[in-house]
Amino acid sequence: MLRLLLALAITLIVAPAAAQDDLQAILQTHAEEVANPGRRSVGALIDDLLASDLPSVPVFLDAWQDREVVRDSRDGRFFIAGDEEDGVVTLLDIANGDEIGTAPEAALEEVRPNGGVRRVIGGALVQFRLSDPDPRARQRALASIARRPDADQIDPLRASIEEEDDAGILAEKERLLNILVARFGATTEDRIAAIEALAGEINPDARAALSEILRTEDRVVPAGEATDGNVAGTLSLPRAEAYGRLVDAELAPPGVSPAEIRDTLLANVEAGAVAGTRLADLDTDTARHAAYERLSETGRAAPFVSDEEIDAAIAAHSFEAVFLEEDEAVIDAARATLGSVERQVALNRAADLGLDALSLASIYFLAAIGLAITFGVMGVINMAHGEFIMMGAYTGYVVQQFVPDYTLSLVIALPLAFIVAAAAGVAMERLVIRHLYHRPLETLLATFGISIALQQLAKNIFGTQARPLTSPDWLGGQLVVNELVSISYIRIAIFVLALAFLGLLLFILNRTRLGLEVRAVTQNPGMAASMGIDPDRINMMTFALGSGIAGIAGVAIGLYAQVTSEMGANYIVQSFMTVVVGGVGNVWGTLAGAGLIGVLQKLIEGMNPSNTLAAQTYMILFIILFIQFRPRGIVALRGRAAEG
Amino acid sequence: MADATLTGPATVPPIRRTSTMIFLAALAVFVLLVTLLADAGMISTSTVKLLGKTLCLALAAVAMDVVWGYTGILSLGHMAFFGLGGYAIGMWLMWARTEAIVLADMAARTLPPTPSELQDAIGSQIFGVVGTSDIPMIWTFAHSLPLQLAMVVLVPGLLALVFGWLAFRSRVAGVYLSILTQAMTLALSLYLFQNDSGLRGNNGLSGLQNIPGFETTSQATISIAFFWGSALALGLGYLLFAWVVSGRMGSVLRAVRDDEARVRFLGYHVESFKLFAFTLTAIVTGIAGALYYPQAGIINPNEIAPVASIYLAVWVAIGGRGRLYGAAIGAIVVSLLSNWFTSGGAPDIDLGIYEIRWTEWWLVLLGVSFICVTLFAPQGLGGLFDLLSARRRSGRRASYGPDTGAKRPEEGAE
Repeated sequence: MLRLLLALAITLIVAPAAAQDDLQAILQTHAEEVANPGRRSVGALIDDLLASDLPSVPVFLDAWQDREVVRDSRDGRFFIAGDEEDGVVTLLDIANGDEIGTAPEAALEEVRPNGGVRRVIGGALVQFRLSDPDPRARQRALASIARRPDADQIDPLRASIEEEDDAGILAEKERLLNILVARFGATTEDRIAAIEALAGEINPDARAALSEILRTEDRVVPAGEATDGNVAGTLSLPRAEAYGRLVDAELAPPGVSPAEIRDTLLANVEAGAVAGTRLADLDTDTARHAAYERLSETGRAAPFVSDEEIDAAIAAHSFEAVFLEEDEAVIDAARATLGSVERQVALNRAADLGLDALSLASIYFLAAIGLAITFGVMGVINMAHGEFIMMGAYTGYVVQQFVPDYTLSLVIALPLAFIVAAAAGVAMERLVIRHLYHRPLETLLATFGISIALQQLAKNIFGTQARPLTSPDWLGGQLVVNELVSISYIRIAIFVLALAFLGLLLFILNRTRLGLEVRAVTQNPGMAASMGIDPDRINMMTFALGSGIAGIAGVAIGLYAQVTSEMGANYIVQSFMTVVVGGVGNVWGTLAGAGLIGVLQKLIEGMNPSNTLAAQTYMILFIILFIQFRPRGIVALRGRAAEG
Repeated sequence: MADATLTGPATVPPIRRTSTMIFLAALAVFVLLVTLLADAGMISTSTVKLLGKTLCLALAAVAMDVVWGYTGILSLGHMAFFGLGGYAIGMWLMWARTEAIVLADMAARTLPPTPSELQDAIGSQIFGVVGTSDIPMIWTFAHSLPLQLAMVVLVPGLLALVFGWLAFRSRVAGVYLSILTQAMTLALSLYLFQNDSGLRGNNGLSGLQNIPGFETTSQATISIAFFWGSALALGLGYLLFAWVVSGRMGSVLRAVRDDEARVRFLGYHVESFKLFAFTLTAIVTGIAGALYYPQAGIINPNEIAPVASIYLAVWVAIGGRGRLYGAAIGAIVVSLLSNWFTSGGAPDIDLGIYEIRWTEWWLVLLGVSFICVTLFAPQGLGGLFDLLSARRRSGRRASYGPDTGAKRPEEGAE
């Protein structure tokens, strides 16, 4: 505190020396109120201080509120107490905190304003801070009001609104004023007007204020009797909880728990028996109850409360939630507004969830589209597809080791990842898959062999720990729409990337010679070959394209997740499901599959946010059931091609 | 029944009978050898356990061979059934052992425990690690060995029945079915990873090597007993499947593999045959799992991750699909080799500039050799026996059928 004061003092040092005398003079005219302030009498002093318009007033008020002001009993002047050493206290000037002398501790009277006075001082201080020339200081003052809302803050806040020139802070002040008036306003009309002005606010402060107005207290009343106050509703509590509350309210005798029964029985063991029952026979609850009842009949234990008695006691009382707020009109207004606020919040949450789902869907689309193309054209499932994703990510990592500029390295890494993964894909197609045509299940297993070998190779080269792929600064941070809706720029970039590839693929497949040939081979390889298309070349090209896109997806995924040798394996099953759900060999199908899986996963997570494992489980179960109804996916190939 | 319409005598190829006899004889010799060596102290208890576990894996591989090599369904989810069998028996093992511990603990008390106190104590012992002491519904039968043994058969069997019925009914086949089975095992393992799944989340069930009622018996004796049990199960399972794949049933299964549509047009209810093969193999795999995990001592959801089932398919492919002994040999050879390499048994090779440490390079070697087997030796290790028996490759030039799961000429042998 002292350091803060000194810092303040330095800023105030330019104040004219006369001002300090003025402050001391004002204090001297009200010396009694300063030294022995009372809640009622202090008003005049504060008014004088405010009227003086001295810049040093807040410094003094601060010290006063913090009980740091002392009065020198020899001349009656006021000072701020500094460090104390051997009974000698350094005196600081009340106006600027300069050291101006020392005094023996015995000569000083501490000025200790009580709680009520300090609140008045606080109110005056808030006013100063709310009109502080520094906008950041004003924002801090607003934040501190929002943290501890209080009826006394209404007037200073309202006063400061008139002088506010910053539009943002003005809106903030008006919002805060509404919150304060809603909770502490003087008249019902004021409060209702303020509450209604809060409609549409999704800010947590506003919601907290409204739910504070609607706070309830649980009460137990004998059944049939009316409660005084505004009853919010009747509670239905679980049995144990309900009886516990009856016991707490001393409306029922405490029940006897099995542990208490056991302890009581143990305390009354006589010659290997309790109340006539041998210990060895006390191995059921019934036997223990009987023994306990006999003990309580002879007064050696508290009476046993049977289940019937507990039920009867619960039935004889009703448990009600009662509003702490007494004004019914305010409650109704708050309830209505909270309803609309909550709808607004739900809407925004849904929008946020939608954005998440969209970005997840674009990741799945990027990861799966390469798989879908190769699957569609060649009918083979490439289990090593995930490792192409990993290769792309590691390519990005390696590029970053050589090119320190993150933007430049990203520009280099994207095409390089495409080339590396495409080359690996072509090599795999030439060396392995070409020899396994018409044996799709063997292809699946052979590519699995490639997958485990590549994964282990990556582990041997790069180690098991995760490698960072740092995104450039312009991709850091989030696009914040409001308190509830935000999305990180990386996810937007991934979305844009997915869109770009969607467009590119649609263009290649529908507008180029290569695309025509790819579609022909997809539909009927034999017929395509007899028309002069070389299926071998097409297979190689599609494999290069599909793997290359996986490489680029790897860079994109690496930017927001970490690069490990297992990252591909984490996406492969999801990619398969995207392909299978969407329908094979069709860009739109993959898009639909990715969209469905992304939205579904986020939706299930949204319903049960604490448990992503469960969300994934339910999603897979849904997919298994979905396949029952559309075995060929959402966008199914028709005709002969579907038979393969 | 459709079988009656099958014309011609249902002859069992003699090679199958011979191969069955040879396999069982080899198994018997192996069991005797291991028992004698273990008795003489030449091989350690942990080695006996390893061999016993390997026999269980071989049984799972034989079942996998029936469903893939004979019926043409590449299931990438059979290890889920293996794990479920393990969980089923593990629940009883864990419950009975905890009960014994709790009873011993409570015996010292003045008051004998009531049944509910006992339940609470067992519950907090078992489920303390996942922060609860409530006993989940699925543990209702855990106190009883016969009921839990029934679960070993019923749970994998019912899951396979329901899943297979749904999948085959809607004619999901080929790679689609493979991916669907993979999704099933992934969903199951993710579900079990949750703490509130009732099976202790990622902690799994542990301490399964302690068999209740045999606390005083040494692990050496128990391991030999389980080794015998595993060998017996493998022998019986092999006989069962040899019987299933021979005769008319086997002919229909192979026909379904090679050309499903044609078999359907011939009037067979293909779905029933596939469902039968799928469910029966699931049950046997579950039993294999129930024998495996008491020897392993611990089971957790990682064991049924999708990759485990792919390895099962890899073993069958390396051993040679479409012949039962091939699957068993593939599983035994690959899993023992894998153990040898990863446990540091294989000597490292110093190349001067780089030292090949097999613990790091084993998976690369496995992957590459697996690709080579698929490419150059489609008949797998089992093909070597064709050389021994001087059996010629079948004279067929064309493929066995148009289906994706059908055999190809290069895989030969029927």
